Amino acid sequence: MTSYTKPIHDDQHAAEHANHEPPFEVQLQSNRLGLWMFMFSEIFLFGALLVARFYLWGDTRPDLSQEVGLFATVVLLFSSWFVYRGQTSMEFGDRQGFKRNFLLAAAMGTAFLISVVVFEWNVFGLSGELFGVELFGHLTIADGVESGVFFAMTGWHALHVTTGILLLLIMWNKGRRGEFTPDRSWGVEGSGLYWHFVDVVWVFYYPALYLMGTVMS
Amino acid sequence: MSEQKAKAYRRGLITFLFLMVLTIAEYIVAVNFTSSIIMLFIIALIKAALIVQVFMHVSRLWRGESH
Repeated sequence: MTSYTKPIHDDQHAAEHANHEPPFEVQLQSNRLGLWMFMFSEIFLFGALLVARFYLWGDTRPDLSQEVGLFATVVLLFSSWFVYRGQTSMEFGDRQGFKRNFLLAAAMGTAFLISVVVFEWNVFGLSGELFGVELFGHLTIADGVESGVFFAMTGWHALHVTTGILLLLIMWNKGRRGEFTPDRSWGVEGSGLYWHFVDVVWVFYYPALYLMGTVMS
Repeated sequence: MSEQKAKAYRRGLITFLFLMVLTIAEYIVAVNFTSSIIMLFIIALIKAALIVQVFMHVSRLWRGESH
């Protein structure tokens, strides 16, 4: 019977490896660069859909609810502002402020999703007015290639909003458990960056879908 | 510390208000006057630049600031 004794050089190797870990500042910069490169690659996806919109619609657009579009845009801007406030709170050690603002941002993101999926897509086939404003959209996926572009653009964006909300809630929970400090809060910064990127995409999608060109007859 | 925090908050608020004004402006211009693609695209570019500069702290990429 033989017994295993841990070789001394295993511990030495572990200690040497620990010494070779890059400093936190270097890791942070690498994380930032990696996330920006990821977002840059996403521009090609969203940009291709934007090009498809101009190729297929030209100087026209479908008859969408202006009020729903404006509401969704304003709500998304509010959410971006709350994320900025949450990030700033964490950087200055205000954990309560961070939690409050990230939760508000997630709520606003959910309101955006509801306005797109329930009202504009009208997945439940509802109808109704509020102060003379039609609340639910008429465009369906079966309306041809023009509507296909609309659903592709808003669908891909809504998917990113959904993952963004999940990220914000995960970071909120980690923050609640005290896993971030003002000096070490890459998760907060990274999720915030992703959320702002989703907002930037909508900054271009909103006018392209709702405002540019004349309404198709 | 709290003064710096208040300054950062104020910067965020001003940026947010700018973004709101630009959004309302593009809505009013498109609905009532012209739906010029170029003009609306320029407004969108300004809005995106504000978000990237202030909310996304793009300068941290090359300045290497910590949190």
